[in-house]
Amino acid sequence: MNRKSWIILLGLLMMTSMAMAAAVKVITQEAMIRKDKRFFAPVVTRVPYGEMVEELERQGDWLRVSYRGKQGWIHTSAVQEQKFRLSSLTTEKAQETSREEVALAGKGFTPEVEKAFRDQNPKMRYDLVDQVQSYKIEDQQIQAFIQAGNLREPGGGS
Amino acid sequence: MRRGLFSWVTVVLVMQVILAGCAEVVSVGTTVGQQMGQISKEDKQKIDRMALDSEKAARPMTEQEEYYVGRAVAATILGKYRLYRNERLTRYINEVGQAVALASDRPFTYGGYRFAVLDTDEVNALACPGGIVFITRGMLKRAQNEEELSAILAHEVGHVNHKDGLGTIQRARWVQVVTLLGSEAAKKVSGAELAKLVSLFEGSVNDVVKTLIVSGYSREQEAAADSSAMTFMYRAGYDPYGLSDYLGKLSKEQTGGAGQGLFATHPGMTERLAKARSVIAANKWPRIGHQIRDQRFQQTMG
Repeated sequence: MNRKSWIILLGLLMMTSMAMAAAVKVITQEAMIRKDKRFFAPVVTRVPYGEMVEELERQGDWLRVSYRGKQGWIHTSAVQEQKFRLSSLTTEKAQETSREEVALAGKGFTPEVEKAFRDQNPKMRYDLVDQVQSYKIEDQQIQAFIQAGNLREPGGGS
Repeated sequence: MRRGLFSWVTVVLVMQVILAGCAEVVSVGTTVGQQMGQISKEDKQKIDRMALDSEKAARPMTEQEEYYVGRAVAATILGKYRLYRNERLTRYINEVGQAVALASDRPFTYGGYRFAVLDTDEVNALACPGGIVFITRGMLKRAQNEEELSAILAHEVGHVNHKDGLGTIQRARWVQVVTLLGSEAAKKVSGAELAKLVSLFEGSVNDVVKTLIVSGYSREQEAAADSSAMTFMYRAGYDPYGLSDYLGKLSKEQTGGAGQGLFATHPGMTERLAKARSVIAANKWPRIGHQIRDQRFQQTMG
């Protein structure tokens, strides 16, 4: 490999790493941005699935992020790292790209597929699944349970 | 020279696609390469195409898709077993389950973790992809305290963390799903495409159900779920010995030939027990007192 080739290689590598700026995509139905990097910290704002949030800082399993002018902490398991062109990151284009990606990913196993599958299999107990899905424990309740049982509050920044 | 250059540029770019998952970045690179006269227009198109193809083929199932597969798996299981309705018990197992799930490596999934009881004497616990976890009354009956209950639930949370359920879906099915997807983002799926997707969805769901109810996971996957379970328990403040205590009990039963339901899908309890003990020894975990939790377990289950 000659000198010129090496320069191109280096250039390509630099360009690629520059393109990987910090924006992450929410991958849960609804993610909470919290005041502190703790599971039960007060909720600053809620972010729906597929939205992009800007990563400002990383500490252990928590990211400090900005979303629609609000800042707070989000757990890394609720987001997925995305690589975008630096130029489009802070503009509306980032959101647009994100929506396109959601649409593309949305062409796999979608709510539409579930609906068609349910229509074909009327005996499946989706009614009971919805019931199980409703067994949601609120933050306060789980926190009280942890304290009363002398358990440890998880996720304190590690 | 052109040929040699093509090959290393290709290797670098395709490697970056795998690392970065972004064909667009490669396209920027090839444009520059072309402008500098280092690669031809044909080469550029070839590389861009490869990058796009490898990105598409590499697309993993999204969290949302995992959720829909999990719901269908749960709907199938709830067609075979009765859901046990007891508000107090349901709330309790969800509290214990959430305590260990929050301490896991994947505290958040698309739809979150939910725990439910199946009304059967069979001894089993099942994790649907995405976080719906079932435990049978037969299995609950064998848990002596909250530590053991947390061990069972943490083990299932371990399977969700490791995406073991999704791993049972035949690779060929997922490749077909990805192939079906056009590159045009806004395009709606046609009726024929939808029918094909539904059939692939059904096949995928059946792959998972079959493993959960009939064939079971590999011994390695069970050992990994045990090991993760103890880590989650320890982080949550539970006594990790709860897992080895429970396995010890099942191991005795298995040698005695009882509890057929579980042992079809969870073989080698004695082997699992030995492995769990070695994990405890390696981590030098001390026994943790749990009197306070024993009390509330008795109040709820007793």
